[in-house]
Amino acid sequence: MDAAITSAASRPVNILIVDDSKMMRAMIKRTLGIADVPLGEIYEAGNGAEALQVLEGQHVDVLFTDINMPVMSGTELLRTVAANERWRSVRRVIISTDGSASRRGEAANLDVRCYLEKPITPEVIRDVLTAVADDDVRS
Amino acid sequence: MCSQQLPTTMFGPDGEAALVQAVGDVAERSFFAYAEPCDRARFTELAEGIDRWYSASIRFEEDDATGVVDCLLPGDLAAELFDAFSGRDPGDPCPEPEAVADLLGEFANQVCGAWLTRAANRQTFTLRPPKVVVTDATAAVPRAAMITLALNDRPLAVNVRPDAPGGAVGAA
Repeated sequence: MDAAITSAASRPVNILIVDDSKMMRAMIKRTLGIADVPLGEIYEAGNGAEALQVLEGQHVDVLFTDINMPVMSGTELLRTVAANERWRSVRRVIISTDGSASRRGEAANLDVRCYLEKPITPEVIRDVLTAVADDDVRS
Repeated sequence: MCSQQLPTTMFGPDGEAALVQAVGDVAERSFFAYAEPCDRARFTELAEGIDRWYSASIRFEEDDATGVVDCLLPGDLAAELFDAFSGRDPGDPCPEPEAVADLLGEFANQVCGAWLTRAANRQTFTLRPPKVVVTDATAAVPRAAMITLALNDRPLAVNVRPDAPGGAVGAA
């Protein structure tokens, strides 16, 4: 466990939720409130391009992203994040309807901590946030 | 829904079973609802007197096939799903039409994605942004390719429209 992750677990966790469905973002946001994790800022983005704008200007600890989105997909977003040293400490979680084996394999190469397949219950998101914040989850 | 030239795992009986299972999983996990297959007679009975329907359609593009999945459901079921997903209290103000459309688009997105994951798991797929429209009772007349279900004892029809094999990917 590196220093960045240790400090993140003991202070409020800033989260970025990326999904083209506003309702889905609201559901995830609501669910985060029941996790046993101190929450800091919760940012939202409707696609990968908007997410990059948030990342450019804000400190984000955990990134939840969908895959299929207009403008810029979650895969493109994750490739950009993985290629940028300044975002190395951002813990990445995919929440997608695409549970195909090849998509999961693709995610494994993008330093994704956890791959959640929709449909999911709020409890799963809660548990994953708790685990990711504690850095217990490995993809 | 069957074609000799389209992959049978997606468009044959296995594909239909995967679709029914996908709807059931989406209903239960995301919307706390219960879905079960129902025959055409039961569907027609459940649909009787309903004149306001929503159609949520989503285009999928996958290596072996492309097409559109349509989900057709009545307005009161849409409201019920909205409340379940959003945690809206019945006493709260009615949701904006845009929010309902967003929610139904997500429903179709999850159904289509869960179906493709089950029916064509080897390949990745692309889902285009869903389109949601209000329609009337004529849309709810069961057609040959429609799969009819009861969701919380309300009518739900799901229709998969594959593009012609080898055809260009067109608009939904």
